[in-house]
Amino acid sequence: MGLWISKLWSLFGDQEARILVLGLDNAGKTTILYRLQVGEVVSTIPTIGFNVETVTYKNIKFQVWDLGGQTSIRPYWRCYFPCTQAIIYVVDSTDTERIGISRDEFKALLDEEELRDSLILVFANKQDLPNALSDAQIAEGLGLHDIKNRDWAIFKTSAVKGEGLFEGLDWLANMLKTRRK
Amino acid sequence: MFSLLYGFFEYIFRKDEFHVLILGLDKAGKTNVLERLKTVFTQSIGLDPGKILPTVGLNVGRIEAHKHNLVFWDLGGQSGLRSIWDKYYSEAHAVVYVVDAANRNRFDESRAALDRVLENRELVGAPLLIMANKQDLEGAANAQEVGQIFEVERAHAQGRQFKVLQVSAYTGQGLKDGVEWLVETIRRGQRAQRLRVRQAS
Repeated sequence: MGLWISKLWSLFGDQEARILVLGLDNAGKTTILYRLQVGEVVSTIPTIGFNVETVTYKNIKFQVWDLGGQTSIRPYWRCYFPCTQAIIYVVDSTDTERIGISRDEFKALLDEEELRDSLILVFANKQDLPNALSDAQIAEGLGLHDIKNRDWAIFKTSAVKGEGLFEGLDWLANMLKTRRK
Repeated sequence: MFSLLYGFFEYIFRKDEFHVLILGLDKAGKTNVLERLKTVFTQSIGLDPGKILPTVGLNVGRIEAHKHNLVFWDLGGQSGLRSIWDKYYSEAHAVVYVVDAANRNRFDESRAALDRVLENRELVGAPLLIMANKQDLEGAANAQEVGQIFEVERAHAQGRQFKVLQVSAYTGQGLKDGVEWLVETIRRGQRAQRLRVRQAS
């Protein structure tokens, strides 16, 4: 279903990108989505299912899918994998207890055949909170250094303050444009 | 079954793949070097220098040169992220260290960062190519000067192959020579053999 919608979308010009926002529950995925789309912090409830919005930035229409992150619904992420140009993986930088779980979920994504060519963008979110781990610590915690066959980037973000998000999109836009050539 | 055959086929006909790490301080021009390499050695056109953003992670570049596949790993140079460099050492066949030859103010900092890289035991025997980059700028230090400041002669004592090359990622000067040297040196050295054994085991 998600595939058909995105195929339909792609008929309207080629400057489109399908992005999945993934991560554990309470990482801040939905807040990021709406911060990108409307530029404001909206109050959110845990996502059951998905939110999808289009964000136009640097002449690219990002079709951003924010999928619910709770344990019971993570298996459904796969339904959305086909034709995904990039993954935005969101980590709650203050959730040191669950960084291991986050790492396992992340590793599983990397092994997915359908995501083989997707760009990997990591948001070390909630940097506005005290005790937030740094980007280097999150990189270490997720084992980003095990990725040796594709591009990745990590950004410190605060969805609440709106910091770092568009820097990440800049990177995505840049990479997507070179790939198109 | 098919995948088994395919794997065997690949094993027989594969070209050796060499991994080359591109390191250096932020703003040294590492990504520019990588993008220029892509332009020179592949069909695709690398990113325009003006469009390159500071790297916060990894850029991967694959090229084929002198009958070998080279995979370049370009890692971000900002001090916070230098801690991930060493995670890539054990699988790297060689190191390209990029220096902004036109920015003498940061030579000391750059040398200190290089020293830390070379101290690492994972990199024993890995050839080192220092690129004195930004030769297109006026007043850029030449290869000899950079070699002296970084005291590359020390590498000799460690039994490490090294070379200092004048490069401009902007014009492409020196890149072909650099790649040729890398392939030749990696091929003749023992590290490639060692890594192959380790990968197989």
